[in-house]
Amino acid sequence: MQNTRDLAGPGKARPSGLRRSFAIHWELYLMMLLPLAHLIVFKYLPMFGNILAFRRFKPLTGPYGVSWVGLRYFNQFMGMADFWRAFSNTLTLSVTNLVINFPIPIIFALMINELRHLRFKKFVQTVSYMPRFISTVVVISILTELLSPSSGALNRLLRSITGRLPVYYMNEQQYFRPLYIITDMWQYTGWSAIIYLAAITGVNSDLYEAARIDGANRFQQILFVTLPSIMPTIMVMFILKVGHLMSLGFEKVLLMYTPSNSMVSDIIDTYVYRMGFQSSANQYSYATAIGLFSGIIGLILVTSSNLLSRRLTGESIY
Amino acid sequence: MMLSQSMKKNKTGRIREKSPLLDLILYLVMALAILACVLPFLYIIAMSLSSSNAILNNRVSIWPIGLNLESYQQIFAYPNFFRAYRNTLTYTFFGTLISLTLMILFAYPLSKPRLKGQKLVMKLVVFSMFFSGGLIPNFLLISSLRLTGTVYGMIIPFAINQFNLIILINFFKSLPEELEEAARIDGLGYFGILLRILLPLSTAAIATIGLYTAVFFWNDWFYGLIYLDSSLYPVMLLLRNIVNGTTMVGEAGGVGEKASVAIAVKSAVIITSTLPIILLYPFLQKYFVKGMLVGAVKG
Repeated sequence: MQNTRDLAGPGKARPSGLRRSFAIHWELYLMMLLPLAHLIVFKYLPMFGNILAFRRFKPLTGPYGVSWVGLRYFNQFMGMADFWRAFSNTLTLSVTNLVINFPIPIIFALMINELRHLRFKKFVQTVSYMPRFISTVVVISILTELLSPSSGALNRLLRSITGRLPVYYMNEQQYFRPLYIITDMWQYTGWSAIIYLAAITGVNSDLYEAARIDGANRFQQILFVTLPSIMPTIMVMFILKVGHLMSLGFEKVLLMYTPSNSMVSDIIDTYVYRMGFQSSANQYSYATAIGLFSGIIGLILVTSSNLLSRRLTGESIY
Repeated sequence: MMLSQSMKKNKTGRIREKSPLLDLILYLVMALAILACVLPFLYIIAMSLSSSNAILNNRVSIWPIGLNLESYQQIFAYPNFFRAYRNTLTYTFFGTLISLTLMILFAYPLSKPRLKGQKLVMKLVVFSMFFSGGLIPNFLLISSLRLTGTVYGMIIPFAINQFNLIILINFFKSLPEELEEAARIDGLGYFGILLRILLPLSTAAIATIGLYTAVFFWNDWFYGLIYLDSSLYPVMLLLRNIVNGTTMVGEAGGVGEKASVAIAVKSAVIITSTLPIILLYPFLQKYFVKGMLVGAVKG
């Protein structure tokens, strides 16, 4: 009985030490043991492994390097044109992606909400969420087939209409960013709309009634009732997205990466990957330094955007 | 919870008067959206079922021409495909099982805000969502633990996903405390409560995060690429290698007639590797969405 009081019961927790807590709730601590060990080994040890950025790596001597070298690797990549190209590619791609793919799910949600046939509405939702669960490998494989210069549907269609010669879209750098953005749109528009649809269903229906009496048509209702009502959700989502500007769909970029589009498709994550796994000498320390640099920028972006969200909207996720 | 309640209220709430122009635009856009989601798959299915002659002459669009199962026969006769498929099934099954076990064991204690130490562990969980070891330190850790080149390397490192964990913690928090109190009086310990009282009530939440986890394991290819030898490759990695030309299947990878066989074979691999998800998706769709909403309500 007493035990229940402490945790589950409505009563106030009494002041007690950790040792007393262990004695009473040992079963809960025992439960945590394995998962907590997992968290420490697989999340915190690699975090600690970032010290490799300041140490020289030697094969077969463990993941933490053999001797301190200070900021040598940081100075090294700061002076590399390749690094700065990857850095600016990362920002260009993610900012463009944000500008285009942020508003689209909102518009999509607003449109779904206006559908008058409930069953059709459900059907659209079901179909549009599906791409989110398709593997990125499959998405890019389908894209490659659709855009293939010899047999792809797009080239065939364009040739039969305009007679133009086939284009190798996946290989030419000016198409890389549009294709990244379009596939993102395909994969995530429906899924991202869920959160806005949930916010829309929370809108008080009296507001629509009032707007109708004032003579607002349905388009005006969307503009002056629905949209302002979900503004807080839009703000929070936007701030969160800004917080994640450094993290792009690395796997997708890697799948779309070819030497001929590398001028625009080499982002920080692929640069780290190439330095770590594909360069002749496995430059682990160098690659770790770049990864750490980008991780810290990411952390700063997330924390500050979260703080901003809390200030502005009173809502934060973490 | 909150969200689903308000959803019901609104269903009857608002009147949407007819507006021909708006309705026309809406249905046009929605039809386009549905086509955009479905057509690529129809195209790939058609390619996988068409004769190489029809593909070569560019006659295939979204309907198979010269219907035949040759491409499927080819990949089924290809031993690496079966092996990769079996590997993926293994990773998905055991990965999901271990993942769910660890996350349930973690989520229950963490759903008790008054447990000493809970806040600290929770902070550790949340911090690890926003800062991580990065690619190289992770790889070096896995290889120094001798997990590279083993089945375990594909399963164990990914057992805890913090987002899914938080979904589960929130779910446990939402269950009424009286249930537990009654069970305590009946003499059940925490393990007993978790097993006999909470789990039977949590099937929907567990199904949701179980599905996310299974989809993650099913779709993974990148960790296979950096951790494994080719005999352990999952099917997604095999697909990627077939599509980018690293791996050849049967007669695939030639010019003319052979190139069109290659297209049919690639398409057949795309379809067979995605089929389980496409087939299960309509039935399980409600669980997927539930998780998104529970996860979105602040943790």
